[in-house]
Amino acid sequence: MNPQYKKGVLELCVLSLLKRRDYYGYELSEYLANHIRIAVGTVYPILRKLRNDGLLTTYLQEESGGPPRKYYSLTSLGHKQFEKDRADYLEFARIIEEILEDGTHDEK
Amino acid sequence: MTKNDFLSTLTAELKRRDMADTQEIVSEYEQHIAFKMADGYSEEEIVAKLGDPFLIAAQFETDDSQEKKPGAKWLAIGALFILAIPAALGFLMLIVTAITLAAMAISFGALAVVLFADLNVYSLIPPMPYWNGAVFGLAAAALALLLAVGCVYYAAFIRQLARAYQRLRHNIMASASGTAPLPNLTIFPQLGGKTKRRLRLLALLSFALCTVSLILGILAAILSTGSFQFWHSWNWFSGASAG
Repeated sequence: MNPQYKKGVLELCVLSLLKRRDYYGYELSEYLANHIRIAVGTVYPILRKLRNDGLLTTYLQEESGGPPRKYYSLTSLGHKQFEKDRADYLEFARIIEEILEDGTHDEK
Repeated sequence: MTKNDFLSTLTAELKRRDMADTQEIVSEYEQHIAFKMADGYSEEEIVAKLGDPFLIAAQFETDDSQEKKPGAKWLAIGALFILAIPAALGFLMLIVTAITLAAMAISFGALAVVLFADLNVYSLIPPMPYWNGAVFGLAAAALALLLAVGCVYYAAFIRQLARAYQRLRHNIMASASGTAPLPNLTIFPQLGGKTKRRLRLLALLSFALCTVSLILGILAAILSTGSFQFWHSWNWFSGASAG
């Protein structure tokens, strides 16, 4: 898949996961790498970008028997952006799907 | 590649790109590797899954690309510095004008007080009957009020202009350093609707009062002296005031 394209979709996935609850970086990167074929290490740059854009905030939380974990949380701007991007993506995907299905139909 | 190879390559690549918080980024990868090792994975396996440290560092850079354009920030600082000189002069001129306006308002206020209270300080006021003076005093008071209202308007204008300028500076820096800009400010509104309406009413009333009392004062002077050149009747320019 086109890496730029994948990156946009990954951002959307990160926002979507964080809408459910706060995650720490390890969880997010493992989850995404297990579901989408990407190198695990490429999720952290995305998290950082989203944080720089003001869509995420981070906080440290002590865990029993380990260093404090950096949790990521959606800001109100992040919530808004997610709703917008989600709607955009679904609309886009619907149109693409239509086109692709028409394409196979014509070939038959 | 071992864990240390990965981390040192990543650190070096991030440092080479002048990343602001290299340590923070690297520590997240360190933690990631620590988690994985606790789950029993080997260093090689973990590092292979993380990906190429060169590519990862490059990804951080593209995310910060606006922030890290080395020239952009200095260019913006230079532009703002050059902009600051005419802006400072402009603001100085505006402020001096505002002070002049305020001084005029205070002077006319003082004139009104002097005429009402019949305090002829240092014989500065040409001689005239008290009631004629009082009517002129009313005109001076109204003019002082009008000037004061003008001064408030003017001060609000300068304040809003200063805010808009500050915002412009902020946004120039923001665009150079890649952070989100704030919406630009317009010159209006300088005052709230209610304040504006009250000030406008006050300005109209004081203007009307000033005009009316000035005309009345002149008429009264003409009538009481029986001369259109009432200043001669009161000996304003014949040296009588000095004597």
